[in-house]
Amino acid sequence: MKREVVITGLGLVGPFGLGTQALHSALEEGLAVHGEMDRGGGFHLSDSALSAGLVDQSELKQWLDPKTSRRMSLPSRLAVAAARMALEDAGFGRGELDRQPVAVSLGTAFGPTEFSVRILDQVRKTGPESVSPFLFMESVANVHAGQIALDNGLVGPNATLTQREAGSLLAVAQAHAYVSTGSATLALAGGVEEMAAIAHAVLDRFRSLSRGTHGPKKGQEQGRPFDLYRDGFVAAEGSAITVLEERGRAEARGAKIRASVRCAVRASDPTASAQNWGRDAIGLAQSLGAGLDRAGVAVGSIDRVVSGASGALQGDRLEAGVLRALFGEDLPPILTPKAVTGEYGAGLLGAGVLAVGDQGRWPTPGFEIVDPKCGLRPHDGRPLRPAQRVLISALSAGGSACWLVLDAPALAQDSQSSPTDGAAGEQFE
Amino acid sequence: MSPRDFTAPADADPGVLDTSWTCVPVVTGIGAVTPFGWGVQALMEGVNSNRHSFGGLSVIGAAGQRTSLAGEVPHDQAALVGGVFESMTPLQRKRLARTDGFALAATHEALQQAGLDRRALRARGARVGLFFGSSTGAMREGEDFFFDLRDRPEGRVAVSRLATQQNDGPGDSVARHFGVGGPHMTFATACCAATMALEAAWLAIASDEIDMALVGGADGLCNLTFAGFNSLRAVSENPCQPFRAERDGLSLGEGAGVLVLERAALALDRGATSLAQLLAVASSCDAHHMTAPDPEGDGVARAIERALSLARVSPEDVSFINAHGTGTPHNDAAEAAAFRRVFGDHLEHLPVTSTKGAIGHLLGSAGAVEAVVSVCSLLAARLHPTPGSSGADPDFGLDLVQGTARALSTPEIGLSTNLAFGGANAVAVFARAGFEVRGAARP
Repeated sequence: MKREVVITGLGLVGPFGLGTQALHSALEEGLAVHGEMDRGGGFHLSDSALSAGLVDQSELKQWLDPKTSRRMSLPSRLAVAAARMALEDAGFGRGELDRQPVAVSLGTAFGPTEFSVRILDQVRKTGPESVSPFLFMESVANVHAGQIALDNGLVGPNATLTQREAGSLLAVAQAHAYVSTGSATLALAGGVEEMAAIAHAVLDRFRSLSRGTHGPKKGQEQGRPFDLYRDGFVAAEGSAITVLEERGRAEARGAKIRASVRCAVRASDPTASAQNWGRDAIGLAQSLGAGLDRAGVAVGSIDRVVSGASGALQGDRLEAGVLRALFGEDLPPILTPKAVTGEYGAGLLGAGVLAVGDQGRWPTPGFEIVDPKCGLRPHDGRPLRPAQRVLISALSAGGSACWLVLDAPALAQDSQSSPTDGAAGEQFE
Repeated sequence: MSPRDFTAPADADPGVLDTSWTCVPVVTGIGAVTPFGWGVQALMEGVNSNRHSFGGLSVIGAAGQRTSLAGEVPHDQAALVGGVFESMTPLQRKRLARTDGFALAATHEALQQAGLDRRALRARGARVGLFFGSSTGAMREGEDFFFDLRDRPEGRVAVSRLATQQNDGPGDSVARHFGVGGPHMTFATACCAATMALEAAWLAIASDEIDMALVGGADGLCNLTFAGFNSLRAVSENPCQPFRAERDGLSLGEGAGVLVLERAALALDRGATSLAQLLAVASSCDAHHMTAPDPEGDGVARAIERALSLARVSPEDVSFINAHGTGTPHNDAAEAAAFRRVFGDHLEHLPVTSTKGAIGHLLGSAGAVEAVVSVCSLLAARLHPTPGSSGADPDFGLDLVQGTARALSTPEIGLSTNLAFGGANAVAVFARAGFEVRGAARP
């Protein structure tokens, strides 16, 4: 694609709080995601995981008035709030994009589960005729993207993707396609998730969540990316929305450019099962390498990786395999924000954008011992040279994969130079 | 078309949508599972017969439902053990959700027609993508799990039935089974999900990311959507009558549709038969209301206009429209308004039909099945009728095909339109295989 697409705005909502500063502070402090799921709904087993990264909903009133809020489910509120933040960050006033061909592209893993549960409870307890039309409207997976469009009058393509852990990055990749082909003048892209009790309980039943069952930190539920004693992730909710636009347009209006989307690479691992990650790290690495090559990105020019590793046993192993196969001995520093943001809620995307031009003083809370089957150590928080070219990586259970390469604004588009050394990721046999 | 053909003109206004490029992949295989049965033949025989496929609900309980008519995929034991399922163990087949089965069967049929198999797809690695649409995934199995959980919360309710519960379940099943190595994504944009998947596949081929795509959709009846649409009073108690004067709601259905889309040069090289060309796909949003369409049809009209512009065809070149046509008062009126705006006087000579009148609204998979029907309509140079007992709504000014299938005098270009909750709209433009596209190199 010949149209260069840049990111000019970022809005964030998560267990870390609201806004870019809140996430950045949490990452630099190494504040592990924490919080407790309400298990009173009757879905959880007695020995289930407790931890979840939940949003403090009282904070949303900074961005949503009560009248707007009460028309929406929680994930719609998260998405609309994050979108408003992103547009403000990009320098757009309220209503400035009304009736313009602006795309909305959102990823969600589970969709609006809480309202779906309420509908099914109505069906079960009082019969199908008692189902509330409001609940149904807000139970459809694409309602959040629709609410963003309605809130801002956006009339371009409106896409919702459901591809679990890779959904947010795929949504950005799709938005990149819309803008770079001229199918939209601008796009709001990212992800949203609510962590309802039912989803949390089901993840726990699949043994996806950390229960702190073994290792030196037995009893502590925590996502420990790449750690030998990791036993799952901490599920979270939130939303991250980016504003993508064509570079010429952004420069013409004097927008601050956070990053350039150098390329998006998408692939699939057919060895995955329905509920787990696959094993074909080599195949995925080859697909990624081919995609980078097609975009004119030299592997050696990537000076930071923002990894989607979350503490998932097989997921982290696959991620490590891909990174090692791609970079060989020359692994750049690997940041693992999901130890802070939790899994889901697009925190990975938000952190990836923040990593551009950043010194990466992001330790990995919970990481202590290298897993030989992963063979790599995430970054320990030492200051690095500001990242010029960031690879964000998202592999999903079920087999989908997406990577984004973001360039710092000053990096020339056709530069393939490798930035001078920073602290490289250590690699173990 | 090589990536260099994608260069935006030097003087292109970055603020204006670009229509300077085009890309024309071809359809080489189609597959379907619908309330008329398993396979495209059953689908086309059914729609051309002027019958509808609706019957009493059995997949979910009808008790307490406001309406009880739906288009269910018939049980076909032979279909469930043959074809794509032959290589599976009984346990693997048991673990499949209904919608997974629909998706796999439709994909198998499409690939067979395209002369492809798992080995051929795996050999192409990351140059083959999977783009799917679904609204419900395997929701019905998820509902069973939920109801069991409510009945015995501490019980060890088997999670295995949730194996493919997510919305991406059917698409994931196809990607895994057939060895897709390239982009792999499921759209959940409600009723235009599959058409948006088609758009994504088209853009991916145009950008030289992939050479081939499995594009489709799968959806199954479930309590959530059946009760939900009824709560909106959107479902008719009788078989739906799209664009008819006495229409009073939609009929829900289930099934799957899949198309094999690939570069024309690739199809030629490997001796595959092109069934049709995909000239363009475009999408938009009304930003008007979450469940009701813009009564002026502005969003649909814009999507049609952009699609036609990208396809390098004028409204007068269009031979037929396979409309969204749900049979609800508001949808049909909005869509007709959009058609009038775009096609003007040409509309009264432009045959229009709605496949939903025969098989119901297949939600996220509707766009895929209707794309299959559109391809068949071009191949046969014939457009199926829209079943219904009342006459066409005279206010719409449509040439609605009624009673019998109509021969198309100029079977060159077909339009397939889909509208969705949230105001999303998506439009695909197909052309006869031999149609000469103006001013565009084939990819």
